[in-house]
Amino acid sequence: MNGSRKKLLNNIGSFVLFMGPSLFAFICVLLIPLVYGIYLTFTNYSPIRLTYEFVGLRNFQAVFTDKEFWQQFGKTLVYVLYSTIFCNILAFLLAFLLTGNLRGRDFLRAGFFTPNLIGGIVLGYIWKFLFSNVVTKLGEIWDYQPLKTSFLTHPERAITAMIIVTVWQYAGYLMIIYIAGFVSIPQDIQEAAEIDGATGFRKLLHITIPLMVPSFIICFFIIISRGFMTYDLNLALTNGQPYGSTRLAAMHIYQKAFQANEYGIGQAEAIIFFITVAIAAVTQVLLTKRFEVEA
Amino acid sequence: MKKRLLSMVLVLVVMATLLTACGGKTAADGSGTGSGTGTAKTDDKKTVKITYFNTSAEVNEMFEKMFKRYNELNPNVVIELIPTGIGEGQQEKLQSLYASGNAPTFMNVDPSNVIEYQDHLVEFTEENAPWLSLAADGTVEQGTFGGKVLGAPWSVQGYALLYNKRVVDQIFGEGNFDPTSINTRDALEEFFKKCEAAGVPATMLHGANWSLGGHYLTLVYAVQGPKTEDGTSFIDKIKSGEINIEDSPIFQGYMDTFDLLAKYNYNKADPLVADFSRDAQAFAKGECATFFMGDWLWTTLVTMEDIDTEYGFIPVPWSNDPNAYGNSEVVMVLPKFQCVNKSQNTPEQQEAALKALGWMLTDPEGQQFFLDAGFYMPYKNVRKDIKYNSMTASIAEYAQRGKTINLGVFSYISGDVWTETGNLMLKYLAGAITREELARGINEYWRSTNK
Repeated sequence: MNGSRKKLLNNIGSFVLFMGPSLFAFICVLLIPLVYGIYLTFTNYSPIRLTYEFVGLRNFQAVFTDKEFWQQFGKTLVYVLYSTIFCNILAFLLAFLLTGNLRGRDFLRAGFFTPNLIGGIVLGYIWKFLFSNVVTKLGEIWDYQPLKTSFLTHPERAITAMIIVTVWQYAGYLMIIYIAGFVSIPQDIQEAAEIDGATGFRKLLHITIPLMVPSFIICFFIIISRGFMTYDLNLALTNGQPYGSTRLAAMHIYQKAFQANEYGIGQAEAIIFFITVAIAAVTQVLLTKRFEVEA
Repeated sequence: MKKRLLSMVLVLVVMATLLTACGGKTAADGSGTGSGTGTAKTDDKKTVKITYFNTSAEVNEMFEKMFKRYNELNPNVVIELIPTGIGEGQQEKLQSLYASGNAPTFMNVDPSNVIEYQDHLVEFTEENAPWLSLAADGTVEQGTFGGKVLGAPWSVQGYALLYNKRVVDQIFGEGNFDPTSINTRDALEEFFKKCEAAGVPATMLHGANWSLGGHYLTLVYAVQGPKTEDGTSFIDKIKSGEINIEDSPIFQGYMDTFDLLAKYNYNKADPLVADFSRDAQAFAKGECATFFMGDWLWTTLVTMEDIDTEYGFIPVPWSNDPNAYGNSEVVMVLPKFQCVNKSQNTPEQQEAALKALGWMLTDPEGQQFFLDAGFYMPYKNVRKDIKYNSMTASIAEYAQRGKTINLGVFSYISGDVWTETGNLMLKYLAGAITREELARGINEYWRSTNK
């Protein structure tokens, strides 16, 4: 009796020791704000007014009539889709090339990874300069009409510009994960495949890719979740311009809450957005997990 | 065993650094913005500590110096500046200060903020703010909301079509150009044609929503009449559906002029680039003759080299009637107001803030700080021998002749209004929508706001 009790205390003690700090931080900065945030969606809260009262589901009603929000939501989906596809293709190719015997391999790896070390805001300003000054100059030199006007002044091209920068930013990061995946494929399996006559593309398709599914899961998850939540790049690169057409969902929510002073609606949109992102990310992980194989 | 010990030590080290990191943060926060209201009550009774929130980010330093000097004169009052950066989310910062119960004692904010926060603000009366009687005629009215004087004016800005005097002199010959001769749209077009004939692009529009929505489109509301109510009742009528904006000849007139500006726009090839320093530089180097902008442009120009320094304003005429209101006037606006908070500060703090404000705005020593920074102060006792920069001097000259458009309606144009309607203006400028669609969009926007 005494022994098991001591053991229980011991268990609680080590739980507090190991989990306590992070659990405390998690509750303070994530759980409480989330719950409090959900509570606020049922009120007409505003820091400006002295009091606030319950308004029931009116905020959610407003979200469903906010045409603008759903439009931007659709644009966010397109943005996430394209950046996921191109980012992963590019990252995989880079990883494939940079695991071979290439000269200056490590230097190239470092080079492709570097963009990821620059913050989104700085990156946005750098590319804003490139798109509106350098690219237009090149257009003049080459006398190529589509490049003469800035990418950032046409709704479709501005979204394209955002996808280009996102791919450039994350491809190097995902490349590192893919490289790890390539390297961790056991040598004996590769040799066995070669002895069986599988070479080149066949080996890649039937041996390498199936064994790298865990890498794919991680990479897809990273880019999908980050893509949905993009705000800094959006702010620095386009700031919603031209004429509000490139406001991704996060930016729309922010502006709804802080510029239009519709905190309740903004918060309700944020909750809906959160649920969507969570569903998308979980579905992706579950779907790709089915392709996982044991070596 | 040894391994376990090692991992325990590691965990402890990590935890210790985590905790100290957190501790350091809170300590830093405490000494920062949060302490203003907290310490005032517990400290010895004689020292009053008050906080000041500033949204004129370009002059944080000016306020810092001013408060230091004030503290030298009044050792029992300590004013702590809460500075903000340009484009740093000033509104959000102010909201979070209010939400956390740390509202600044007094602050320098946008007119729309005065309306938003009016329940929190001290009403200026003759007893608590006798110095306000020195304010220039008509300026206190603009800080009056719901019958209460809540905002004290401190600077005047203006906008219209800026012109580069050197360039215009080159085209017309020295001293031959009379800015008052531009009082109809036809006269403006004539002027533009002469510029183009001389090989100089005639004008420039800055393709940003704040310029086209906040400034250009706002002209339509302001020119409805010389009183602020003329503009606000016009907006109210649009909101209620009684009228549509396109029914107003003033809207049609300004859009005709806008078409003209767009036709002669220096940025015509790619009108939405909206790179402010690039546009400013092009104008200051004389690459185009005029620029739809305000005298705040000066603060950007002083950082540049090899540029012209002589500028003046010409009006933006909306019709061909030289006597119509708005055709020979330039906009004069009080872009910021000084307010005192009552909801989250003690009476002593409020009193100290009111006194400090009086010193800042009407004492010669306080005023000197603003004048040195190049502000045009709307107070009757301001030194007369001040030499302003050419843009501000031009605005002052219009003001002396009484040729200004009252932009009081600007207070009712909050951030959301000018971003949304400004985006529509950008769409129109880019040719993505027609004028009918633009008007419909503006009507719809106003009807969707129930504020």
